[in-house]
Amino acid sequence: MNTAVSQQPDAGVLLELDGIGISFGGLRAVDDLSFKIRRGEIVGLIGPNGAGKTTVFNMITGVYRPTDGRIRWHGRDITGLAPHRIAEAGIRRTFQTIRLFQDMTVLENVIAGQHLKMRQSWWQGLLNTPAQRREERELVEHAMEVLQKLDLADVAHEIATSLPYGAQRRVEMARTLVAKPELIILDEPAAGLNEQESAGLNDTIRAIRDAGITVILVEHDMSVVMNVTDNIVVINFGKKIAEGKPAEIRSNPLVIEAYLGQDDEEEDDPLLNAVHDQVNA
Amino acid sequence: MDKHMNQATPAAQAGRTRALRLAGIALWLLGLLIPQLLSPAWITIGGIFAIYSIVALSQDIVLGRAGMYDMGHAVYFGIGAYVSAILSLSFNWPILWTIPVAIVLAAALGAILSAPIVKLRGDYLLVVTIGFNAIFVLAMQNNLFGLTGGADGLFGISGPSLFGHMFGTQSDLFYLNWVVLAVVLWLMNNLDRSSLGRTFRYIKHDELAATTLGVNARNYKVAAFALSAGLAGLAGTLFAMQLSAVSPGSFRFTDSVVLFAIVLVGGQASVPGVLLGTAMMFVVPQIFTEFAQYRYLAFGVAMILVMILRPQGIWPARKGVI
Repeated sequence: MNTAVSQQPDAGVLLELDGIGISFGGLRAVDDLSFKIRRGEIVGLIGPNGAGKTTVFNMITGVYRPTDGRIRWHGRDITGLAPHRIAEAGIRRTFQTIRLFQDMTVLENVIAGQHLKMRQSWWQGLLNTPAQRREERELVEHAMEVLQKLDLADVAHEIATSLPYGAQRRVEMARTLVAKPELIILDEPAAGLNEQESAGLNDTIRAIRDAGITVILVEHDMSVVMNVTDNIVVINFGKKIAEGKPAEIRSNPLVIEAYLGQDDEEEDDPLLNAVHDQVNA
Repeated sequence: MDKHMNQATPAAQAGRTRALRLAGIALWLLGLLIPQLLSPAWITIGGIFAIYSIVALSQDIVLGRAGMYDMGHAVYFGIGAYVSAILSLSFNWPILWTIPVAIVLAAALGAILSAPIVKLRGDYLLVVTIGFNAIFVLAMQNNLFGLTGGADGLFGISGPSLFGHMFGTQSDLFYLNWVVLAVVLWLMNNLDRSSLGRTFRYIKHDELAATTLGVNARNYKVAAFALSAGLAGLAGTLFAMQLSAVSPGSFRFTDSVVLFAIVLVGGQASVPGVLLGTAMMFVVPQIFTEFAQYRYLAFGVAMILVMILRPQGIWPARKGVI
């Protein structure tokens, strides 16, 4: 076995989870989870409720520190770095429950995404120097470009949390995109959206990928997952049970079992319905 | 009501901000006439108002903007006052020269004290800052390094002088305080429009979201304390000049509570709100001098009513700056 070759970073791999796990008290929330994300991919992370999907995101973004395993970014170990260091590395995320800065405008929220580009020092801000004013104008211009693309330019000066739910989701997305990250992590971007909005979301996610940003998303809305992802990782009880193309996942018996094992309340789940159809056929 | 505020067009909001700023400038200019128009007592009250406004505004940086429950803010005010008094009395420095030292030392103390505690949750941080205040008062009372004069404090601080001219009258001091207040108001105005001020607010509203955008929350929280303490230190020097004396009794825990309450009652992160709160605490009682001993009672009742009926403060901050 040629270890030298196996230690070469896999070409095109952006993010690698290598056997990560985390326990909360006695509960093993995520266990020995490994998968890779390649540049330019749209990867879906799915699984029944409580499977540990958001926990995985929290470990990638430094909110939680894994108790086992390593997370590598461009082959570099980033396990357990603080969230702001992960952001510096070029990874940005949205949240399952929208986390916009309340009482602040859409513009101010999106400018927050440019924090690491900021060059003004504290005293330039306090003294309102010409250089600082110039930078402020550039921040606004740049934020407005992104808002334009996400159809939010009209509400730039509105208080972000006063907007309809779908628009708030887009503001959160704008806040991450304005930083031009390499990887964007979307935690249930379709949650709370109506049908029309989630159809628009598919286009938005593809547009993000076409802009050269790799995407990983957790989503329950199978019309989004099955339509936009290149690759799907399925986890249940914190463990990976399947990985593959959407078509493969749809017919994977382990996945079917995981979803069938769920309570009736999940019956509206399109994947589950698809599974039922197949079983009955 | 909030809905209506949100729906105001950007142009209307900008217009209102401009009108408010013009009104503020007009009031400040009007204030310049106080020494000509009012009695000596009111000149002093005006000067005291300016000084406490600066302290309250500095408290608002930590509390209203960065969202940290600092209930020991009198420490930084006191450090500024004591540094100036000691340099002036024991080392014969002209008092104006002590200003930068007071600012820098207060800011440094703010950074040093806050660095280990900014990770604490709000209520825990509050208790620690109360502890800071208790220790500070005790240290001053015990004549620390033989410099602080013990429980009676330090007396006979001479007024400011420039090019050999003394500026020691109450009117002179009033003008000085009034001008420094204007500078501080200008700084606060700039702060709200800068990356620094915005980042404080990001941390206050959602620290986790801010950190995932690259904000080093700990550094910014320490910076908020340092900036806030520096301004309080500046006010401390003015205080030492104004009273020509400093004593531990001016920087007790209860003084910190008053500063804290001024911000909450006036309106967090709201400059007009904090000025209004300061006026309620330090000016209004002077109008009813025969009831002056009821100052805390009146303010206490006001605190209760405002917190119940108008928890956002009398003059809440405008939502959104840009």
